[in-house]
Amino acid sequence: MKWTISVSSSLDEVLAFLANEREVYALEQLENDQYRLSKSKHWQPGFHTLGDFRPIEPLKTLFFPAREFIGKWKDPSGRKALPERIVFGVKNCDLSSLGIFDHVFLHGVCPDPYYKEAREKTILVSSDCTSHLDVCFCPAVGEQPFARSGFDINITQTSEGCVLEHGSERGGQLLRSARQYLERAPAELLEHLAAQRVRLHEELVEHTRAHGLKPGSDFRKAIETSFESGLWQDFAEDCVECGACNFICCTCHCFQLADGYAADGVAARTKLWDACLYNGFAATAGGGNPRPLRAERLRNRFDKKFSFFPQVLDRYACDGCGRCTEACIADIDIRDVLRRAVDESDALHAHSSDHRAN
Amino acid sequence: MNPTLYMPIPAIIERIEDETPDIKTFTIRPVEPIPFAAGQFVELAVPGIGEAPFTPSSSPKISDFMEITIMRTGRVTDWLHGMKEGDELGVRGPMGRAYPIENFHGREILIVGGGCGVGPLRSLLLALIDDLAAYARIIVRYGARSADSIVFKDAQMRGWNQHGALDVMLTVDKPSPGWDGHVGMITDILTEDYLDCHASDGIAVMCGPPVMMKFGTDKLLERGYLPENIYLSMERNMSCGVGQCGHCRLGRYYICRDGPVFSYDEIQSNPRLWDD
Repeated sequence: MKWTISVSSSLDEVLAFLANEREVYALEQLENDQYRLSKSKHWQPGFHTLGDFRPIEPLKTLFFPAREFIGKWKDPSGRKALPERIVFGVKNCDLSSLGIFDHVFLHGVCPDPYYKEAREKTILVSSDCTSHLDVCFCPAVGEQPFARSGFDINITQTSEGCVLEHGSERGGQLLRSARQYLERAPAELLEHLAAQRVRLHEELVEHTRAHGLKPGSDFRKAIETSFESGLWQDFAEDCVECGACNFICCTCHCFQLADGYAADGVAARTKLWDACLYNGFAATAGGGNPRPLRAERLRNRFDKKFSFFPQVLDRYACDGCGRCTEACIADIDIRDVLRRAVDESDALHAHSSDHRAN
Repeated sequence: MNPTLYMPIPAIIERIEDETPDIKTFTIRPVEPIPFAAGQFVELAVPGIGEAPFTPSSSPKISDFMEITIMRTGRVTDWLHGMKEGDELGVRGPMGRAYPIENFHGREILIVGGGCGVGPLRSLLLALIDDLAAYARIIVRYGARSADSIVFKDAQMRGWNQHGALDVMLTVDKPSPGWDGHVGMITDILTEDYLDCHASDGIAVMCGPPVMMKFGTDKLLERGYLPENIYLSMERNMSCGVGQCGHCRLGRYYICRDGPVFSYDEIQSNPRLWDD
């Protein structure tokens, strides 16, 4: 069942109702036209928006915080329970990234209770992208600028009105509880939405092609065959291993357990984001380091995203959000790296085909 | 596994024994027993300071205490070596995949150790010795830098050899006064001259520094051991211990979760296998 907002109601009324007593995370437009994820007690009309494209910070910050207190030594009290939360305006790249985090923190040998709690207590309200940033390239990695699954509720604005649908049981319950504001979406509106999705997707495919990447490219093959390529050294010439691409990435999940002392002097442990671009990331006691060169660490990042995850989860750990390109102070564009890897891989295969033909 | 996942449980250091100038064996008693299988590892934490992975060297039949043989080689091990009997530390585990002992029944087992790598192998050996009749033959080949740096010296030179139950041979890289055993690399005592084995259907288990495992594996393959019958204890920067934190990835595996014990055929295609 797909809904629209009844003539006597407004989108703001619906969003305020859905927020109810929950802690609200919604997009706030900044002066540079980007969005940030803003925390609030309520949905604030005029201040909050569903947004045209994804915000600066990745959604992972709500489920895998940059700094998470784990506990004090011999103190079983742990940390405070999370409040019920709702996030408005989640874009598909971020929504899809949670598949990586669910794999790592829920479906492994030992689920992370903090992540599980955060997932259970957070309602995800997604919305289609209605525009894109210059750095966006989600069609290249098999994604699209609207959500197909993973949301509780999806709300999309079109010039002909809003379309609301649920993607989970709890999302369905929540929408049904807002019946007084809603009515069945007419067929013409759904057709309009479908056409809008096709148009925006095509625009983004065109934009991605203009940056040299084709939808359906085999990045796994490209990265695996470019293992010994000079491309890693070439891009590493500019990289300053600041780790910004790791931290801003919507799928990077690596962390360290940092030991120290709480303010009261008791030993305590904190979970902190870590970055595989850092020299010490894989270093072992006694001075060993499997990736002592920056080029090796840069390659490792792509290897993890485009070879490791396809092998263990049958997907890339990249949703094409382009945040790493925006964050890189050396102006390394992930699309340039992927394009070169694809070009070299294609050339290699063309060469070996020629060789066989001769 | 500790239900709190990232927080260790307390353990008391009951005994500290010097093995070599830079290796000590710690006997720790956790507040709750930690049942483990030979080859699995635990994370030892110095509260407030840090944590590092170690594989117990004691028998897996005993779970209320464990012995862990530790070389002083970094920040956490510096602290551990500075601790005294009665001090408290933290422990998480057990973690990872153990030696598949059930596949070893009826087979000849060659155990190859280098330096401190004999720790995990001792745990395996104690499990095997417990059920000696179940195995065709047990051979131990161990290499150390010098006579001073032989770990479990008494057991290796006397205990395990008692009654001829095991075929044990040691080598040291450098000769020293008083050492009348073999001098040479570990790969020397894996040659036909010093190792009579049924390689084609034998099991080989190896643990030691990466360079020793690299050349040791080459030698075992040369002798005719099959890649699927060579078991290696791999090591990286294992931190969370449950395949989440990302530090110990090796190709498609996390060493903490999918290892640390791998058969060579599982990992041989990795171009960076021996990088340390």
